[in-house]
Amino acid sequence: MIEFKNVSLTYPNGVKALKNIDLTIQKGEFVVIVGMSGAGKSTLIKTINRLATVTEGEVLVDSENVMRLKENRLRKLRTQIGIIFQDYNLVGRMSAIRNVMVGRLGHTTTFKSIIGRFPQKDLQLAMRNLERVGIGEKAYVRADQLSGGQKQRVSIARVLTQQPKIILADEPVASLDPPTSHKVMRDLKRVSKEDELTTVVNLHFIDLAMEYADRIIGMREGEIVFDGPIEEVSEKTFEEIYGRPIREEEKRGD
Amino acid sequence: MSQSTKISLRSQRSLKQKATFVLIVTSLTLLYAFSLWSQDFSIASSQSSPWTILYRLFVVPLINPSYWPSFVEKSWLMIETVAIAYAGGIAASILALPIALLAAKNSGGKVHYVGKMILNAIRSIPELLFGVFFVAAVGPGSFAGVLAISVNSIGMIGKLYAESIESIDRAPVEAIRASGGNSLQAFWYGILPQLLPQFLSISLFRFEIDVRASTILGLVGAGGIGVPLILAQQQRHWEEVGIILIIVILFVVVIDSVSGRLREKLN
Repeated sequence: MIEFKNVSLTYPNGVKALKNIDLTIQKGEFVVIVGMSGAGKSTLIKTINRLATVTEGEVLVDSENVMRLKENRLRKLRTQIGIIFQDYNLVGRMSAIRNVMVGRLGHTTTFKSIIGRFPQKDLQLAMRNLERVGIGEKAYVRADQLSGGQKQRVSIARVLTQQPKIILADEPVASLDPPTSHKVMRDLKRVSKEDELTTVVNLHFIDLAMEYADRIIGMREGEIVFDGPIEEVSEKTFEEIYGRPIREEEKRGD
Repeated sequence: MSQSTKISLRSQRSLKQKATFVLIVTSLTLLYAFSLWSQDFSIASSQSSPWTILYRLFVVPLINPSYWPSFVEKSWLMIETVAIAYAGGIAASILALPIALLAAKNSGGKVHYVGKMILNAIRSIPELLFGVFFVAAVGPGSFAGVLAISVNSIGMIGKLYAESIESIDRAPVEAIRASGGNSLQAFWYGILPQLLPQFLSISLFRFEIDVRASTILGLVGAGGIGVPLILAQQQRHWEEVGIILIIVILFVVVIDSVSGRLREKLN
């Protein structure tokens, strides 16, 4: 469970990215955060694993205050939270499976990881996760040889190999074409349901949000302006979130 | 619709810009004319014609069997030269690392210019000077050559290393830190795989240059094939000079092509 209690975040340059956020995300939910760029979606997600530090209020993950954690406890918490980035954040020169094993580093002692001695069961796990997202045969191909969709699948496999409780995804399909976007979102949703993971995804495409979310949170200028189950959401809701009519380019299409 | 104005590929230039351009071109032309005029181009008389020398350099050693054993003997000296370059190059590629870390903007921080200054200072000193210096310090021979090559190469290797370090992609580091990896793991899995192939490639490239440099270093007594080269040249023993040049050219061509292919694989 993730809880935000009166959270605000002001950047050193004075920009208020988050304003008094109160929010609870239950275990196993698949939540999509929508809003225009600059609305604070990305900042909100990154406060959960403290890639961004809140300036007021508290963020609790399983009742633990993220801001209070010391270095060691923070690393422990981060092993429980996987994050998927828009630009994949893979090492291009390493094979897919080696990139996936990067997700296991938090569970591996420094010495063992540096001499490259990972437990066989971890390697099995990595390979299984690559197969789950349909790219098992690419395990030994260098990451920079893969297509965008394949790269994002490698990063999904990396996150799964962490065996996290929570997955965060920051605009996971923004660099992909429409058909690939759907495939990647479908994969993400499927594995997250199979492993009963709490998932928070940032999207700015409203049709993707409608298709894959269990619950939608709308943000505008650092505030939550909508929060409700997908059944209550219509195109009208988005117009309220965006504060203007929806444009065609805000849909990914298929 | 209004009449369309003519589109030019270049942006409009002001009169001042045009004047500057003319001024630069004129002064460059004058400079060139002056340097031609100031040089003395008369050819000093020589006892043997250039054609005779060329014939004795590259034809006689190849067609006269009495010179053939000398090729084997000189090849060993060339191998010594390559060994000097190799030993010096390896030392340089290791020694350059800490200086490069200091010189790169992202790893060196506020004092990165100190590292840059060290590298610039090394690069501005010609290799022959290092040769003379180390021959004076440790006596003539290969050891002086190895020292000269290693110190001299640090300048260029360090500069190129630093450029690689500056162009690192931080994204994988963010991913590793975000999944609970510590800073050493982030370095090992996020940064090293990006740097190692580039470092190897840079060192190989420098080795190609070092082979040529260590040939030259022999001229000041720092071991290898340069020593007999300068002796033979001083005695006007052109056949001997020819043998040495042929061997140097062969070795350099082979080493450059092998190393070039290796570097291609690394990228």
